[in-house]
Amino acid sequence: MIRIEDLSISFGTGRNAVHAVRGISANIAANESFGLVGESGSGKSTVLRALCGLNANWTGRIVIAGQPQARRRQRSFYKLVQMVFQDPYASLHPRRTINNILAEPVAIHKLGDADRRIEQALSEVGLDSHFRFRYPHQLSGGQRQRVAIARALILEPKILLLDEPTSALDVSIQAEILNLLRRLKMQRDLTYILVSHDLAVVSNMCDRLAVMKSTS
Amino acid sequence: MASPRLTIRNLSVEFPTRVGLMQAVRGLDLTVGREKVGIVGESGSGKSMTARAILRLIPPPGRVTADELSFDGIDILRASQRQMRSIRGQRISMVMQDPKFSLNPVLTVGRQIAEAYQVHHERALTMLEAVRIRDPERVYAAYPHEVSGGMGQRIMIAMMLVPEPDLLIADEPTSALDVTVQLQVLAILDDLVTQRGMGLIFISHDLGLVASFCDRVVIMYGGQVMEVCDAGDLRSAKHPYTRGLLQCLPDIDRGGV
Ligand SMILES: Nc1ncnc2c1ncn2[C@@H]1O[C@H](COP(=O)(O)OP(=O)(O)OP(=O)(O)O)[C@@H](O)[C@H]1O
Ligand SMILES: Nc1ncnc2c1ncn2[C@@H]1O[C@H](COP(=O)(O)OP(=O)(O)OP(=O)(O)O)[C@@H](O)[C@H]1O
Ligand SMILES: [Mg+2]
Ligand SMILES: [Mg+2]
Repeated sequence: MIRIEDLSISFGTGRNAVHAVRGISANIAANESFGLVGESGSGKSTVLRALCGLNANWTGRIVIAGQPQARRRQRSFYKLVQMVFQDPYASLHPRRTINNILAEPVAIHKLGDADRRIEQALSEVGLDSHFRFRYPHQLSGGQRQRVAIARALILEPKILLLDEPTSALDVSIQAEILNLLRRLKMQRDLTYILVSHDLAVVSNMCDRLAVMKSTS
Repeated sequence: MASPRLTIRNLSVEFPTRVGLMQAVRGLDLTVGREKVGIVGESGSGKSMTARAILRLIPPPGRVTADELSFDGIDILRASQRQMRSIRGQRISMVMQDPKFSLNPVLTVGRQIAEAYQVHHERALTMLEAVRIRDPERVYAAYPHEVSGGMGQRIMIAMMLVPEPDLLIADEPTSALDVTVQLQVLAILDDLVTQRGMGLIFISHDLGLVASFCDRVVIMYGGQVMEVCDAGDLRSAKHPYTRGLLQCLPDIDRGGV
């Protein structure tokens, strides 16, 4: 489902270049759950961002669902692949209500039935419907993180890239989210890559895992 | 414990919303001396709002009331803006839950440290090293969007420690860090409490971490304090909510590696 060959990613050029990722390869099967761990700064988020088309400075090969990927991705790509960012605050538009944040992808991809989808996505992450009318800054840290997960799920993608998706959640809510992922994996044939510094979470949730090391 | 530095009695934080009044904190009592006080509780239980209220950082239209909210004899609710500015950052520091969001996106990490605290290049580098940043020179010259999640968190911690505060409020300060780095950061905080007599409020959703690191633990639920106990007595906590949290712990341990 996801094939990565000799992927290298760097920022800047010359003496100031940061080689964040050097020559990694991985082959992730359909419906597999793959863990990515490694110390802070080792390049985990950078890999996910490149897979998701948010970073153009990579070399190597990325093949997703049989399609070799170019630097830029088409809109339809995001119906297939969604990412939950490590920093939920930065990824949620500050001037849009939660309702609009969730309605937008539904409208862009012309899925219809927005109301039902929003209600369902919120309830799946344990938020009741009055949160629809809040803005991101009116939520707690863990509530924001769950909105970011809801937004990724609402398009029912086949592939999820999850960057520390439960780092702000207490054990009981974390367990709910992890159960949700397990269920989606079975019901919707989901494939996911999960980045987490919590080895208990990764070993519970992933079929295989890769460990990254800092290059500098 | 010497007389408390921070005293909170009957603190409430409320937000009017279109579906009625949201009571984020309801009648909270808390004292903090030269010790490590942990606050745990589920997502949305009012931990961050309690922290922000102490520094009078509740955004409008939020309303804060208390019978007492005082720090070293200063009445926080009635202090002037000027007094608050000198308290914030100098005497009470806070590491916010969204570290990168609280950094200025258009200034390099180094300039932010230098400008905020008038410290020199050398000192700033030493601080970055202390929180185990591998290549401090590069990070000094980097913009916030150029550092990783865990690096951002450590930069914030380093910055908050520069002014050597009397009280540090750390809101989920290690949530992006792996165990090794987490322990190193906790050791730094512990030193400041035991050697310099700093007070620490440590907010976390991780009961296990708080129980092993803090002296006392405050358990919040729905904006209220459910229970306060010495960390050592946590296993015999009585409140059903605390018991529920405790029961979750071995599950995680068992899944561990
Ligand atoms: N836009 C950028 N410009 C320059 N360097 C960058 C940029 N983005 C990331 N880096 C660097 O690339 C390296 C890898 O960062 P990345 O965010 O992928 O780490 P990570 O493994 O996700 O770490 P963490 O666990 O702390 O989130 C870091 O050294 C970081 O400073
Ligand atoms: N501006 C606001 N308007 C309305 N409600 C708010 C506002 N800010 C926060 N809240 C609500 O107040 C409650 C307490 O929020 P707080 O941020 O203190 O939670 P928390 O315990 O820190 O949770 P987390 O562990 O998820 O960070 C939450 O239910 C939140 O939705
Ligand atoms: Mg990261
Ligand atoms: Mg919080």
